[in-house]
Amino acid sequence: MFELILQALYSGLLVGGVYALIALGLALTFGTMRVINLAHGELVLLAAYMAYVVESRLQLNPVFAVPLAVLVACTCSALVYLLVDRIRKNRELNSLMLTFAIGIIITNAVLLIFSGDVRSTGSPFMQDAVQLGPLFSMKSELGAFVVSLVLVLALWQWLSRSWYGRAVRAVSSNRDAAKLMGINPAKTELISFIVAGALAACAGVALYSSSVVHPPLGHALTVKAFIITVLAGVGSVPGVLAAALLLGVTEAMTVTLWSSALQELVGMTLFLVVLLVLPNGLFGSAKRRG
Amino acid sequence: MRRSAYLFLAVCYVVVPLAFGGNNYLMGLVVSSLIVAGVAVAWALLGNLGGMVSFGHAAFFGVGAYASALLSMKLGVPVLLAIPLAGLIAVLFSVAMLPALRLSGPYFALAILAYAQIFRILATEMEFLTHGSGGISQIPVLPTIAGFDLSSRTGQFLLLLTLLAAFLATYDLIRRSHYGIALRAMHDSEDATRVVGVNSVLLKSWMLFVSAFMTGVIGAVNAHVINFLEPDYAFSGGWSVLPIVAAIFGGYRTVTGPAIGAVVIYLVDQLVFKALVSTGHQIILGSVLALMILFAPDGLLPLLRNALRRMRGGSHA
Repeated sequence: MFELILQALYSGLLVGGVYALIALGLALTFGTMRVINLAHGELVLLAAYMAYVVESRLQLNPVFAVPLAVLVACTCSALVYLLVDRIRKNRELNSLMLTFAIGIIITNAVLLIFSGDVRSTGSPFMQDAVQLGPLFSMKSELGAFVVSLVLVLALWQWLSRSWYGRAVRAVSSNRDAAKLMGINPAKTELISFIVAGALAACAGVALYSSSVVHPPLGHALTVKAFIITVLAGVGSVPGVLAAALLLGVTEAMTVTLWSSALQELVGMTLFLVVLLVLPNGLFGSAKRRG
Repeated sequence: MRRSAYLFLAVCYVVVPLAFGGNNYLMGLVVSSLIVAGVAVAWALLGNLGGMVSFGHAAFFGVGAYASALLSMKLGVPVLLAIPLAGLIAVLFSVAMLPALRLSGPYFALAILAYAQIFRILATEMEFLTHGSGGISQIPVLPTIAGFDLSSRTGQFLLLLTLLAAFLATYDLIRRSHYGIALRAMHDSEDATRVVGVNSVLLKSWMLFVSAFMTGVIGAVNAHVINFLEPDYAFSGGWSVLPIVAAIFGGYRTVTGPAIGAVVIYLVDQLVFKALVSTGHQIILGSVLALMILFAPDGLLPLLRNALRRMRGGSHA
């Protein structure tokens, strides 16, 4: 039993790393534009199917799909920004419904082109087992986790050190003041969407290599990313990472100790409890969702 | 406007059964479109009056459907009594959502989505009550009242049209009452409205209850129309998405817009889009929603009304 729990902890952590990557993209655009991009999970889905295309058509390892996935996801993400930016009236709710609609369009486009079948990598190299003491995983799972962790740290460095990263943070904390300091908010917002697209692309390829994908996954990922953003509270990269790992571990524990049908239930309940009881999230700075 | 709406309804009562009554398939589609219309009106009531956009009306729809099916099958409650009771049970479940009213815009929308998912999983897991994902079949049909068979397509149509008319009248009544004025004031500034003595939380709760009741009733009627339920169908995201598209399309700030939008969108979707693309025809619904938000966020009805006014203005000049 103890070994089972340990294994669940480990698997949960590995999945949590990829969740962090997805949630960071959502949190980034939410920070700069105050827009919840409900099509973000669908961008991940799109990237995952690019990996499928590269593997099935070109017979290449899915890792080589990263450039194509980044190109597609960044273009779509920039497109989402340009469309959302056109909304003038009642922006908060209209942008929510617009991105929701874009999500529906992407999911059904994927369904039309690739059919509803479940896809995953066929590469034996990726599916090879790796043993760490008593713990087991696929090579791809461990790889996805390490890559995710590196990207999360890179994003954190980018946000705190680089000029554009600091501009993103400035625009999220006070748009008008940032403008006065010579930052172009529109350009900064576009950059945050493109970076979010790149993160989604890497997450999509990682997901395809280490797990299975099918069209409805996009919506589920959006909801997961939003749950993590709420758990983390606004404005903290380590918070997002911790919340993502927490969600991954909680889900894995539920599957091991309880039933796989209840996996989603636990995430949702955690989300509602935090939303209703801890309005600033687990790690957020004191800021009201008013 | 109000008189013309009632006139239109009266015409529908007579003309639609006479014109399409013989065609079972078409009449079935019209019945389904009215079901979507009922949910769309309930959604728009919460969105327009309450100022709360919900992504989870499937929660009320599913609860209403299951409540009515179980009441009539396990407890032997007459169907016509089980339907309003199911509405009340949906209200009871909406009480669990009251804490979410404190949340603003997007957080409320997604919290309700979480509730809908939780209800779906519970309906799947509580097998002793709901038979899980196997579903419930042979749900009793609508009864025969005074020699008139409500379970026929025409009967279903007349029942749903009556319900829809009642919903629209209720919506209009609330909007015109002083509660409606207070609710409209809350759109501009909730804080200022509270300062002048309006209990905004109470008012919003009432809108949630009314909306949940309407959706629950429609879900219940639908259960007795199709006679089969399973969790993935009853709590399907489609029951949340289609009404949103319909209401935005028709104009969710108007009373009749969502209902007209629902009938138009549903019929066009089933008769035209489904024939064009069978799998993934939701892509067209998504496109309609996106285009409406980008180019006509107020919906088609206000757009038409303005065009009409401009034409009349032109003829006078």
